Amino acid sequence: MRLKAIILNTFIESIRDRILVVLLVVGLILMASSKFIKPLALGEEAKIIKDLGLSAINFISVLVAILIGGRLVYKEIEKRTIYLVLSKPIKRWEFIFGKYLGQMLLLFLVVLLLTTFFGIILLITNTKGDYFLLLPNLLLLFQLSIITSLAIFFSTFSTPLTASIFTFIMYFIGHLTRDLKALAQIAKSPIVKGISNFLYYLLPNLANFDIKGKVVHEIPLFPSQIYLPIIYALIWTIALLYFSFLIFQKKDF
Amino acid sequence: MRALKIIIIFLLFLFIFFLQKEIDKERKVSLREILLQELMYFPSGKFLKEVALEYDNLLSDFVWLRAIQYYGFHLVTDRKYDYLFHIFDILTILDERFSGAYHFASFSLSWDAKKPDSALYLLKRGLTSDPFNWQHYFDIGFINYMIIKDYEKAGYYFYLAAQMPNTWRIAERWAAFAYGKSPKKEFSEILWQDIYNSTDNPQLKKIAKRGLKVLKRERDLEYLQKAVDQFIKEKKRSPNSLLELYKEGYIDSIPKEPFGYFYKIKNGKVIYTKK
Repeated sequence: MRLKAIILNTFIESIRDRILVVLLVVGLILMASSKFIKPLALGEEAKIIKDLGLSAINFISVLVAILIGGRLVYKEIEKRTIYLVLSKPIKRWEFIFGKYLGQMLLLFLVVLLLTTFFGIILLITNTKGDYFLLLPNLLLLFQLSIITSLAIFFSTFSTPLTASIFTFIMYFIGHLTRDLKALAQIAKSPIVKGISNFLYYLLPNLANFDIKGKVVHEIPLFPSQIYLPIIYALIWTIALLYFSFLIFQKKDF
Repeated sequence: MRALKIIIIFLLFLFIFFLQKEIDKERKVSLREILLQELMYFPSGKFLKEVALEYDNLLSDFVWLRAIQYYGFHLVTDRKYDYLFHIFDILTILDERFSGAYHFASFSLSWDAKKPDSALYLLKRGLTSDPFNWQHYFDIGFINYMIIKDYEKAGYYFYLAAQMPNTWRIAERWAAFAYGKSPKKEFSEILWQDIYNSTDNPQLKKIAKRGLKVLKRERDLEYLQKAVDQFIKEKKRSPNSLLELYKEGYIDSIPKEPFGYFYKIKNGKVIYTKK
């Protein structure tokens, strides 16, 4: 019941954020623009519409996760509402977990809304598409789970802007970790090799969740390409929320 | 005072309007230069793929639109396509499975830009990431057949295209045609026979039968010409007829022209005629 209250509170607060409306409008415009690109595409309309739709859903929801997620905890500290919340019989882990679930509920609705709009665009443009196109969005939700956890983690000890920047940097690095693996393979020095490998496994690999290209090109996927990233995301989420809780617990309110 | 403010704002906008018009005029004059300059600074595909994060496919779509724009512009102006390979190179690194881009690149590069080697390079690179794409094999075969005139290689790639899943049925016929023009005519015969046996389509059977007949005629002509050359070498004169060749033992039999024509010797050359 207490957890539910925090979830709802976080969700309602996030949904009131003006930045959410701006991002959603940008996302809808991005997807709608594919209708106008159609005549220029020279036979590749279907690919462009799908690429643009899936990328817009991805891009907007990642921005929502980073920008709104970055101020989740700090806002409560800054506005001193945290004192009010923690004066109630609420455990600190419930507060962190509630924030996470509230934000995930918001992200789920954002992805759902954008996906529905994407479906409408496919219908309007007579583009062939099936349920297979939903798979990237399923994995996106799990990628968002890591990003949200990262944002909450940074939000426990830094300002909203810094937390958002840190989360964005982690998102950027998370898509480039394969280069660390490549560096480890070509490096001659065992120290460089060791450090590269260490960082490769230490940092979250967000490229695991990117199957948009495969889905658009209708390349068959193995079940492991879906369930392994999901397990990976769950473990990362648990770890990050646990770290957030540890930091949050040490704070003196 | 208020009127003055309005006039100042109006004048400023008027100034902006004319300034923009001037800038547009400049652009119109040097659009080609701008296009070229932009492309010169277009970074490598590998770099773009890195910075594009998980949006590399989307970026490839924008490069695709750029490629069409570039191709179209030069098609109606100078027909010089200096940066076409560069654009397609970037595009196919960003999206290694962009089948339509490879197909378009293979034609525009080999026919318009006269760079069949660049087209073949892209197509072969495409095969490393998409080895079951019949279109890539077919396009390699097509460039070899139509431009490079390496019929044996063309036949080989057409044959590979025919073996791929969801392939174009015609690929096998192209393989047979290409091999028919190459020194490996026996491959052509096998392929035509294969096409003939594997189809119930009467039109296709007719085409295959015709292909087999053309091959037989080519083989007959080759066989008879060899005998005529040998005759001339030994007798120091041209044989009067095929019958003479047969009677003198230069050929085992007089082959029948498969289309109902007749083989004839004219000035030391074997030909086929209606009579």
